[in-house]
Amino acid sequence: MDFAFSTEHRALRRLIREFAENEVEPLAAEIDREGRVPFETLGKLGQIGLLGVCFPQEYGGMGAGEIGYCILMEELGRVCTSTATTVGAHIGIGAMSIYLDGNEEQKRKYLTPLARGEKIGAFVLTEANAGSDAAAIRTRAVREGDSYILDGTKTFNTNGSFADIVTVLAVTDPTLGARGGITAFIVESDMPGFQVGTHENKMGIRGSSTAELIFEEVRVPQENVLGNVGEGFVSFMKTLDLGRLTLGAACLGGAQAALDWSVRWARTRRQFGEELAHKQSVQWMIADMATQVEALRSLVYRVAWMVDTGQPFTQMAAMCKLYGSEVASRAIDVALQIHGGLGLSRDFLIERFFRDARIAEIFEGTNEIQRIVIANNIFRRHGVRIRP
Amino acid sequence: MKIVVILGRVLDPAGIVVNRRRGRIFVNREEYVMQPADACALEAALQIKDGSDAEVIALPRGLLPDDDDVLRQALSVGADRAVNFVGRIGNPPYGDGVMARVLAAAIERLGETDLILTGATTLDTGQGQLGPRLAGVLGWPQVVDAWAVRVAGDHVETVCHIPPPLRGGLGGGNPYTILEVDLSAVVTVHPGALKLRYPDGARLINVYRDEKAVEAWVVTDLVSEEALQPLLEKRGRDFPPERERSVRLEGAPQEVVQVLASELRKRVG
Repeated sequence: MDFAFSTEHRALRRLIREFAENEVEPLAAEIDREGRVPFETLGKLGQIGLLGVCFPQEYGGMGAGEIGYCILMEELGRVCTSTATTVGAHIGIGAMSIYLDGNEEQKRKYLTPLARGEKIGAFVLTEANAGSDAAAIRTRAVREGDSYILDGTKTFNTNGSFADIVTVLAVTDPTLGARGGITAFIVESDMPGFQVGTHENKMGIRGSSTAELIFEEVRVPQENVLGNVGEGFVSFMKTLDLGRLTLGAACLGGAQAALDWSVRWARTRRQFGEELAHKQSVQWMIADMATQVEALRSLVYRVAWMVDTGQPFTQMAAMCKLYGSEVASRAIDVALQIHGGLGLSRDFLIERFFRDARIAEIFEGTNEIQRIVIANNIFRRHGVRIRP
Repeated sequence: MKIVVILGRVLDPAGIVVNRRRGRIFVNREEYVMQPADACALEAALQIKDGSDAEVIALPRGLLPDDDDVLRQALSVGADRAVNFVGRIGNPPYGDGVMARVLAAAIERLGETDLILTGATTLDTGQGQLGPRLAGVLGWPQVVDAWAVRVAGDHVETVCHIPPPLRGGLGGGNPYTILEVDLSAVVTVHPGALKLRYPDGARLINVYRDEKAVEAWVVTDLVSEEALQPLLEKRGRDFPPERERSVRLEGAPQEVVQVLASELRKRVG
């Protein structure tokens, strides 16, 4: 076994860490306070090639694979959850869905500008009555000549308000359900009938945009069907599998940051005549946190290696998201406790990370759904099929 | 036009923790980065290249095991070639005097070099001898500690910060002065003068994957064994005597003065 990163991945981490500390971190508090997307950062990320970090170079990507992408998400998650969320929605599910199921022409036309950062992508799935129960979507796509007409409203779309290219799931045959009746489409935001609706005013990840998208008789050419007709649900679930891994990587960054702040604070803060580092209660908190962070790191990069080497990873990716989000929430909660009252202050960044961490247990499949995915994969090998 | 940039590495200060109470430095993450002043020199070279057909070649400032990494960093941000010295890695640790000889031989082998750029000082040792020593070996003109570098025709134009006490006949007013020297020349660049650009991501991945991206030249093919002999010999360490701790006098002014005067009389004898 070899747990060492390759020289190119070490060099990539150095580049991303430098970028995150110089370009992302200085804006993190501001974009949270003002509730704005850091477009200037997205532009710079695109110029360097990081918005296509995992895609092959023939499609405008960097060619650093899933391990490279996890490094990007970890380092962004360490300094700004909002930016990590925006980048994750663009690469991990928006562009990724085209990479996984797009044909050659679609990859040239849509994936390449997304990977180069010339255009921004989004992944459009959730509806008001179809959250965890994603197969319950009602957005319709009706065949008309050589096009499909899309009608419906999608909610909680990260990047939806400014994305140029979105992948959308719609019902093409209501009689067939999730397996056979749902199709994925590539939609350009300048297609007539594409509208941005309400913007969510969120508790956390305020520096990312979450908006409602309305499709009102949007005519989508047949060549924009992503994958095969009727196989969109499976296609989207496949994309979400990868998104869950990299969400776990972003959580790893947040948990590592919480650990770093806690160690720094415990080393300098004096109470009862000595540093907090000498208090056993604080030592144990930090020891537990460090153990969980290392366990998460091993899990995340092992699954990234599994993806890069072509092994099945669905169950493990669900574990990354489940464990990662819970480790991050717990680590940031403990960090706040170690910092005492100052942890609640808006002048300290723990308060922002505390608000930002909560969503990781919800989006890209709630943690309850992850447990179902994991249990389903385990029991299926024993001949038992679980129904959600 | 051919520009040679000389680059070195230094332990990343971000991975170092200073514990003032214990008077110790702890390395909690042993990672190396490019010497900050060398990074400025590299950016200066790339800026000259941006507006011309100049070729930028990176060489290491020492014979160290991981210098290959800083050379790959240089390639990933846009240097055209990188050459590492192999064969006598780090044993003994060569000083700037020896390295100046090795680098001069390498530059001679490269042929027709117009400009050599390197950092004005190193972050760890605080030394800035390599540039001037190299200029001395080559017999080229030099400018040290430049804030900006521009090539104009057959000379290089630099902006240097020369504070008033050192200005001599340069006059007062603006402490920044433009110094011009004819090419070929050696210029050392001030740390912080420029910010090294980010690499193109795909180029970075390709450079690090390509085992042969950095050329390897055997040191002993460039210079003789004699030239590799250190110019300095370490014979030991000597420190000034430890200072006596001071005493704080307290009490009414009259009493304090009396105690002080008596103490001074004792010492004077």
